Amino acid sequence: MTGDGKALSVVGLETRYGDRQVLRGLSLDVEAGQIYGLLGPNGAGKTTLIRSICGRVKPVAGSIKIAGQPNSQRSALRRIGLVPQEIALYHYLTVRENLTVFGRLSGLSRYETSKAIDWVMEAAGITQRIDERVEILSGGWRRRANIAAAILHQPALLILDEPTVGVDVEARNGLHDLIKELSRTGMGVLLTTHDMEQAEALCDQVGFLQHGRIDLAGNPRELVENAYHGHKEIIVDLREPASPRLNAQLVNSGFQAANAGRTWSSFGQFGKGDAEHISAQLEQAGFAVRELRVRQPGLDSLFIQLNREAAEASSEQAA
Amino acid sequence: MIGAMLRVMLLHLVRDRGALAMAFVLPPLIFLIFAAIFSSTSGDELRLKVAFGIGVPSESASRLEKALRAEPSLRFLEQTYDQGKETALQVESGNADVGLFIRGDLGSAETSPAVVLVDPGKLMAGAILSGQIQRVIGLELPDIGLARTAPAIESLVGGFTPEQTARLTAAIDTLATEQNSENDAAELVETTLLGGNGKSGPTVTYYAGAVAILFLLFSAMQTAATLIEERNSGIVDRIAVGHTGTDVVVFGKFLFITLLGIMQAGLIFTVAALVNGLKLMDQLPLWGLTTLAAALMVAGLGLAVASLCTSKQQAQTISNFVVLVSSAVGGSMVPRFLMPPWLQDIGWFTPNAWAIESYHGVLWRGEGLDVIWSPLLRMVVAGLLGLATAVVVSRARLKLS
Repeated sequence: MTGDGKALSVVGLETRYGDRQVLRGLSLDVEAGQIYGLLGPNGAGKTTLIRSICGRVKPVAGSIKIAGQPNSQRSALRRIGLVPQEIALYHYLTVRENLTVFGRLSGLSRYETSKAIDWVMEAAGITQRIDERVEILSGGWRRRANIAAAILHQPALLILDEPTVGVDVEARNGLHDLIKELSRTGMGVLLTTHDMEQAEALCDQVGFLQHGRIDLAGNPRELVENAYHGHKEIIVDLREPASPRLNAQLVNSGFQAANAGRTWSSFGQFGKGDAEHISAQLEQAGFAVRELRVRQPGLDSLFIQLNREAAEASSEQAA
Repeated sequence: MIGAMLRVMLLHLVRDRGALAMAFVLPPLIFLIFAAIFSSTSGDELRLKVAFGIGVPSESASRLEKALRAEPSLRFLEQTYDQGKETALQVESGNADVGLFIRGDLGSAETSPAVVLVDPGKLMAGAILSGQIQRVIGLELPDIGLARTAPAIESLVGGFTPEQTARLTAAIDTLATEQNSENDAAELVETTLLGGNGKSGPTVTYYAGAVAILFLLFSAMQTAATLIEERNSGIVDRIAVGHTGTDVVVFGKFLFITLLGIMQAGLIFTVAALVNGLKLMDQLPLWGLTTLAAALMVAGLGLAVASLCTSKQQAQTISNFVVLVSSAVGGSMVPRFLMPPWLQDIGWFTPNAWAIESYHGVLWRGEGLDVIWSPLLRMVVAGLLGLATAVVVSRARLKLS
């Protein structure tokens, strides 16, 4: 790591596709050894940010530095390890053959590649599958091999685009351990995910990307704590949407609708037995309650809330 | 770095048995089939199957039948039909390539006594049989030829005296009784076979080149399409941030497709040399130069198509269209000299025509670099333009996608 110990530093980044502005003054830092989760709805600008970091989109304003070097320099791009969402491997080659190819293409000599493969096999836990063709591996092993191919040159910044899509829980947990291990070696990790549980479990920092800028960033537990101050979330699932009159009652009680009026949620200080009491009241008022849950709010609650606020702000602006 | 890409491509080919067969088994097999078919239609092996009928039996008709049946270039159905309809039926049903029906006295000048029955799909067969009949009559039945032309001469000279008529009749009788009479006068037309400085058979050299360029094009298009797979699977994204950038992918594939093309062409021409007696070793340096140029060309064109297409399916559709049309017009399926002049002119703008012309020039006409430089240059320029297109478009796609 060079300079200020940051694996990635993005300051005031603005990008455009023609007339459409995608990123609007986005700033974020990923420290060495830190796992940063980039969260946001589809179309928020996550892919554009990754492409900008990789030098594929030229910003109209702002700067990007990889390990202290501007990403306009080829040597800075070489400090990136990119793990695309797809399995970016040659399926008819073995894992070892793939690693050899990508090691050589990342600028390592034959000797260095061989050494790097030895290290990666251990680090990524793929030793037992190293001589099997990718096409016969299960989803979890493919994902591991996909990551392994990106870290051969020990990058300063590892970018993971939806690293656990399509894998079972056990494989997902294994991948989480792997990503944590890699961050402990000093790599800064930037990962995009729609899986809020994953973000909470893995990330030291998360950033909510909305309309081309980071709306909220911080440690996931602190963000949730600050947003809800120990309140609990009550979620009501209805068998069928209620009448407008009943819906108005819920809104007046502080509930917010989702899922076309079939799901309602609210935050508050709920105690033991409150759930049964509220459920009985709702039934009595005429709601067809299927299920009522009380839980600790998480990043997903915050994510939904931020999306809702952003949508409301947009519609107000439009009005 | 390019070595790493070459290794990827090689392992892909080796581990895909279907692709391996397409690359190295099918081309020589198709060449052998083409060579067998077209050697027989353009050389000594061409033997038309003829249905023969005589409506009005006569001594002259029997003599013509006997002479024609002795012709080695014709195969007659065993039966001699006595109805024109029956004879025509043999042609219509495909039992015979062409038919001949004698409907009157061969010596009579008033009508056409012999009718050639031609299937419209085999017009060439009719022309060949008509020519053979004229030749046989000239050589084997000169009395009939003379008897048919005498009335025309008589009217031109204002009539024969009785004495001249008697001498003419006697001459015709003498000709009729003489077997294989030799004509003292020289034949009006003499046929001389040209070319062959390269000492290989013209059909074999033509079709070796024609099939080679056809398969080189198909194979290059198919192999280059892996560029699209790599783009869509994120491999190109991964490589783009690496040490070399994405140019190494394009250059690696270019080199591999070129080497593959050289191997495929080498295989086809080796089979042609071993099975069909093609004299490859005599012209090896220029053949090698032509093969290198053709392989460079197909590699460049294949990569250009792959870089411009967004999906493998789109690339397959476009490449099938381009290769089939180019091969049809450029002479890989049917020699260009059989095409109408306007189509021949268009054909000269196809990669197939350049490769075929160059191979044929070297191996059949024995031409040197001073003659074949034009098609060679076209192939090399086309290949380099294709490569440049692939590099530029691939770079642009990284920025745009």
